[in-house]
Amino acid sequence: MLLNFDRLGWWKYVLLAITVLTAAFLLLPIIFIAALSFGSSQWLIFPPPGWTLQWYRDLFADPRWLESAWTSFTIAVIVTILSVLLGLVTSFGLVRGTFLFRDGLKALFLTPMILPVVVLAVALYAFFLKIGLGGTMVGFVISHLVLALPFSILSISSALDGFDKSIEDAAVLCGASPLEAKIRVTLPAISHGLFSAAVFSFLTSWDEVVVAIFMSSPTLQTLPVKVWATLRQDLTPVVAAASTLLILLTITLMAFVAIVRKVLKQ
Amino acid sequence: MSTYSDASSVSVPLLKARKPTGLSGVVPALIFVGIFFIVPVVSLLLRSVMEPVPGFGNYVALLGSSTYLKIFANTFIVSGLVTIISLLIGFPVAWALAIMPGRIASVIFSILLLSMWTNLLARTYAWMVLLQRTGLINKMLIAMGLIDKPLALVNNLTGVTIGMTYIMLPFIILPLYGVIKKIDPSILQAAALCGATRWQCLTRVLLPLALPGMAAGALMVFVMSLGYFVTPSLLGGTANMMLAELIAQFVQSLVNWGMGGAAALVLLVVTLLLYAVQLRFVGSQNAGGR
Amino acid sequence: MSESFLQIRGIRREYGPVVAVHDVNLDVRRGEFLTFLGPSGSGKSTTLYILAGFENPTKGDITLEGKTLLATPSHKRNIGMVFQRYTLFPHLTVGENIAFPLKVRRKSKADVDSKVKEMLRLVRLEGFEDRKPAQMSGGQQQRVALARALAYEPPVLLMDEPLSALDKKLREEIQHEIRRIHQQTEVTILYVTHDQEEALRLSDRIAVFSKGVIDQIGTGPELYANPRTRFVAEFIGDSDFISCDLLSSANGQATISLGGEAVFNQIPVHGNAASGTKAALMLRPERIRLSRNQGAPKSLTATVSDITFLGNNIHVSTETAAGEALAVRLPFGHEAITGLSRGDRVHLDFDPGAAHVFC
Repeated sequence: MLLNFDRLGWWKYVLLAITVLTAAFLLLPIIFIAALSFGSSQWLIFPPPGWTLQWYRDLFADPRWLESAWTSFTIAVIVTILSVLLGLVTSFGLVRGTFLFRDGLKALFLTPMILPVVVLAVALYAFFLKIGLGGTMVGFVISHLVLALPFSILSISSALDGFDKSIEDAAVLCGASPLEAKIRVTLPAISHGLFSAAVFSFLTSWDEVVVAIFMSSPTLQTLPVKVWATLRQDLTPVVAAASTLLILLTITLMAFVAIVRKVLKQ
Repeated sequence: MSTYSDASSVSVPLLKARKPTGLSGVVPALIFVGIFFIVPVVSLLLRSVMEPVPGFGNYVALLGSSTYLKIFANTFIVSGLVTIISLLIGFPVAWALAIMPGRIASVIFSILLLSMWTNLLARTYAWMVLLQRTGLINKMLIAMGLIDKPLALVNNLTGVTIGMTYIMLPFIILPLYGVIKKIDPSILQAAALCGATRWQCLTRVLLPLALPGMAAGALMVFVMSLGYFVTPSLLGGTANMMLAELIAQFVQSLVNWGMGGAAALVLLVVTLLLYAVQLRFVGSQNAGGR
Repeated sequence: MSESFLQIRGIRREYGPVVAVHDVNLDVRRGEFLTFLGPSGSGKSTTLYILAGFENPTKGDITLEGKTLLATPSHKRNIGMVFQRYTLFPHLTVGENIAFPLKVRRKSKADVDSKVKEMLRLVRLEGFEDRKPAQMSGGQQQRVALARALAYEPPVLLMDEPLSALDKKLREEIQHEIRRIHQQTEVTILYVTHDQEEALRLSDRIAVFSKGVIDQIGTGPELYANPRTRFVAEFIGDSDFISCDLLSSANGQATISLGGEAVFNQIPVHGNAASGTKAALMLRPERIRLSRNQGAPKSLTATVSDITFLGNNIHVSTETAAGEALAVRLPFGHEAITGLSRGDRVHLDFDPGAAHVFC
């Protein structure tokens, strides 16, 4: 009975109440920040005395905000491309390969995902300082790639696992070379895995804070670092404006993913 | 064409070891992960026992000082609290999601996903503002007459707990939802027919069956909370540090790689131990149960 | 005369525009084994679920030993049930599963232990107390489910197609077990199945469900010899149907003509129709007489289309001049079979008392 919604009796209302309250709890801060970004109070008083677009104007007027956004974007794009490519090659090896320690190797590749990021951030920071790559684009890209790769491998391996290799073999029998068969037959079939890998890699890099804090220099900052640095000083509403734009980006991305998933399903 | 000799003279072929294939695929990633993951982490840990002088001096300093121990304690207490509160809220929500009509459930799911995918800094910033003395939460509490002076809800561990619970909730709800969805409803029907009241069905059947999912979710949240950096640093203020910020401080402000490495290793070891415990627990569950 | 033990009156269950159960009325006698037989979607499982308390009827009432059941929640109805799917509690051992309803009723430890042992003996699984469900086969799991359902000595035991997930041989074994347990415990059993052989093998009485109503209730022989609707005739046992013309009908007996020539009267008729309309004549394959020569005065001519040897009887497929297929079953060694081959012309006739007309 407990797993039948209609037969729970008054318990149904308790569960519903807790769920609705939790959903409201999860949603409240997001809506709040969006509302705040249009409020005219410097000290973030809510409800605000008036409404304004001033903070957005400040945001776009400050070249450092735009620069940091562009830096984040560039890094994220490069990381995404590398992550999907490397993840693809690795997944083929992990899914199709037959060698000792295959499962252990897969666990090793997934480890950066489950370890505390701060340990990784500090380790990479020290390492890059030693080899002179601290505070450089290359350092950033490599660090983010280490974090994004596990997600990529996970998505692509799972899609590849669910793909019946006989279809690829059939293509080879039809006359295609093994590489051609993979490109023309397998890749389209696992495109949803590639897409997930790309989305997760992009987001991992774009949103990444901890490693970026260590990797950044005064001349090279990603957007999260700019937000972090600003927040350490004061709670200016400009951050609310930046946050709202980031929230919009999330919603757009979620909608985009949903649409692409529907298209790929055909 | 070889001619086949009669059966008595056919020799049994030696079993060949399976030739490994696919290695070329994993080699690039292996090199990459080796150089940029294993080497940095190992060298950091080595530094903890090599700097400033070889030996375990850093660990003695770390685990002997009351200041540092307080930070460890704070970290464990907050993580524990966050885990317990997330479980208490997350279980009913996951249960409700698993059985409620699809349309309402989709809306709640979208809210969950939106919350998870929204930028961490944006979400933490929201709480920094909400929990201020002049913030909305205090205003509402005063307006409702529950308190007459604003509470200190931020720049302390209370704020950290609230913020972390907010972040961690989806990580408990989603896996638990999956686990509860897999339970066959007929089992609960059978329990009811056996005479069990709703409460007895909950405590004797549903909770035990959901326990593996709860344990896995709780462990994940606890481990994540232990090593979390952003939210505790922003919501906790400078006087209430947690482990991750301590590590960062050693490395960035104090440039003390020895202590930083030592603290990092402590965090790493605790994390790995907890995972090992879970693996052992899950393994024994699978042997006897479903 | 047995007093009314379980009365089902006017049960109706609607799901929006869909009516799963139209109007079910039934008197169940104490201690009997009654089967709800019918195809999927006929309302038999829904009726059972209403009895268990998992569904509420739109209309109607159920009384058990004089008290109405519908107001009582499931966990107070004191009814036992074995489901189609294995519903043992996976986190408890076999012994704990059986003990569950007793512990929930706060029985003493001594009572619980002795009852568990007694139930394991009943289903012939002694020694299995400490096993977990995952370590047992499907058949064993259902036996434990049965033990658990009977542990608290319910007056009624419901069984919802409990054997459909098992293979044929295992199914027959457990059917035998169920019959034995029924005789030993004398509990009233309501059993749902779509398998007529299973129904015939297990039940005292069978209620044939079709489209949300009970077409007919009776013992196996009653349903086989005297089906009251075409559906029951088709569902239980093999049947042949020949279209005929209804010449007249009165007092439950009809006169019909076959193929425009042969006229038969005093055939039991079911349903109302005007004279001169078409109706269906139903015959059991073993009640059709087949001969090579024109023996009987009124008979139907047909051509043999196939002959199949089935061990102790022979199945002869024929086709009438009108193109209808008729199966005839003859015992092995019957004189008409000798030298019979495809394409031969044969003459079929029957005893009017053994036939039925459905309008």
